[in-house]
Amino acid sequence: MFGLVMDQTTAPLTHREMPTGARAVLVVTLIYIFLVGVGLLEGGIKVMGADTQAQLFQGVDNPIAGLFVGILGTVLVQSSSASTSVIVGLVASGALGVDAAVPMIMGANIGTTVTNTLVSLGSIRQSEDFKRAFAAATVHDFFNLLAVMILLPFELLTGWLSGAAESISEQLVGAAGSEWKSPVKKWVKEPVNWLRDGYSNLGLEENVLGTIMVITGIGIVLLALTFITKNMRRLVADRVERSLNAVLGSGGGSVAMLLGMIITISVQSSSITTSIMVPLAAAGVVSIHNIYPVTLGANVGTTITALLAALAASKPEALTIGLVHTLFNVGAIAILYPYKRVREIPIRLAQGLAQIAVTRQAVAIGYVVVMFIVIPLVGVAVFR
Amino acid sequence: MVMSFFRKGDGGLDTIAAHTVSMLAEARHSFDLSSMALLSGADVDAVANDVRATDERINQAEQDLRGELVVHVSVHGSDDIGEVLGYTLLIKKIERIGDQAKNILDLAEEGVDLSSASDIAELSAIRQTISEMMSEAAELLNEHNQERADAYRANADALRGQLEGRIRECMHSEDPGHEIVPRAILFRYWKRIVANLGSVVTTATEPLQTKGYHDDGETDIDD
Repeated sequence: MFGLVMDQTTAPLTHREMPTGARAVLVVTLIYIFLVGVGLLEGGIKVMGADTQAQLFQGVDNPIAGLFVGILGTVLVQSSSASTSVIVGLVASGALGVDAAVPMIMGANIGTTVTNTLVSLGSIRQSEDFKRAFAAATVHDFFNLLAVMILLPFELLTGWLSGAAESISEQLVGAAGSEWKSPVKKWVKEPVNWLRDGYSNLGLEENVLGTIMVITGIGIVLLALTFITKNMRRLVADRVERSLNAVLGSGGGSVAMLLGMIITISVQSSSITTSIMVPLAAAGVVSIHNIYPVTLGANVGTTITALLAALAASKPEALTIGLVHTLFNVGAIAILYPYKRVREIPIRLAQGLAQIAVTRQAVAIGYVVVMFIVIPLVGVAVFR
Repeated sequence: MVMSFFRKGDGGLDTIAAHTVSMLAEARHSFDLSSMALLSGADVDAVANDVRATDERINQAEQDLRGELVVHVSVHGSDDIGEVLGYTLLIKKIERIGDQAKNILDLAEEGVDLSSASDIAELSAIRQTISEMMSEAAELLNEHNQERADAYRANADALRGQLEGRIRECMHSEDPGHEIVPRAILFRYWKRIVANLGSVVTTATEPLQTKGYHDDGETDIDD
């Protein structure tokens, strides 16, 4: 339908669509480049001297500081997939311990919610739309905040999360401290070596070489993830649309959760999944109760990226921290979702905040600035 | 349900297009039933439930399609926003056709019976033409045929003019009000349906339509 006008008036404006097969090959290539980025990050840290490594991560030994660093880092790159991949790379290098990385991973979970909250501000001029959109976005924030408030102290007291992840990791790839012969690592190793040798030939060495490698690695990770997400979104857009139409409004919570997970794994970004939901909520197509489980599924789905990044690492600890991310999100759902009264808490909090924000729009903007920038900055300054 | 993600099949606007065609088929069903009740002396009670149930399905389809369009824009962004705007307008027009078919049933329910009118053959021919136009409009929603769309619009304009003439005749008629008023109302509903069908085809070929948007630059030709 509408083919005539497309043919006659808009055809010159439309860009040529890449064939699906070619796009799939492009995505696989981008995943490989992403893994090279993680490898480069790990290699760069290793090149730095032990003193430099110790100095770099001295401040995040404090778990609260680590949590805030995780929030800030994720807000900065607007992607928990990217920030957790970087954390995996750092753990793989040995410079960052699993214990110090766990709060950072939890912080990344909170930081990633800024994206859909920003999207909801787009409807700030239409009060009813905004109320629904803001509540739908911030339910993600409140769920993740509650999850951290419960699971971080519990982890600090008992170490159950890292312990469970370590035990799974040990079953899969070997004990901590050993060398894991990842099958992917050997494919990634060569380009990392070429880049390191290239920088060395320019006369760079030790800390400078390490820093340049780390910066290049982070740049590659961010760029590759951006393009993976972009291309995957195009590849699966029709499937996402079809399944959303089939599930939303008629599917139960677990079905919606599964859908959120599948979409997020497909597009490698929980921000995409949760941001798609915001305009649907604004338009009143779906309720906050429908969106909530999709959001939780997205939380679990996004952990696949850190697990993928661990494939390029040489230490079992990298997989352990990837698994911590997965277990944290699955554990949070197990605690906060099954019982209706508990499940409703993030929804009530989000609706309450939205009710205030709709009458005082400055509250909405202030919430974003304070929650995602001011508090983490102050937190890092105080607890470092 | 979630497995629909993994299944192959049409997605995006193709699915919405298919649903729009179904909606038009429902509108035709409703129109045929209500017009037959008026023109053939069929039992009004027998068709009333069917017409109202069909109208409810059309209204529900409109709501569902609006939701699907919002989902489409949320997932695909503004890539095909022109088409989405076109569909938004188009489904509203089909929903109005459903309403107007129900209005024709209201006439029959008020006791109007034109089955023994002297011009019943002509009235039946007009009804048949409009019914076939609904079918053709559905075909044009799937077909990329500019010439056929232009011809359709020309035919719709001609029929609209003919119905306008019949309304004027009624206005100047010497016949008693209880005979002439229902006829004038029927012609008015038919005229609106034809105008809406013309707009459906225009919108399908020109989402942000300008052609025929105004009648002599002053008044809307459809509603």
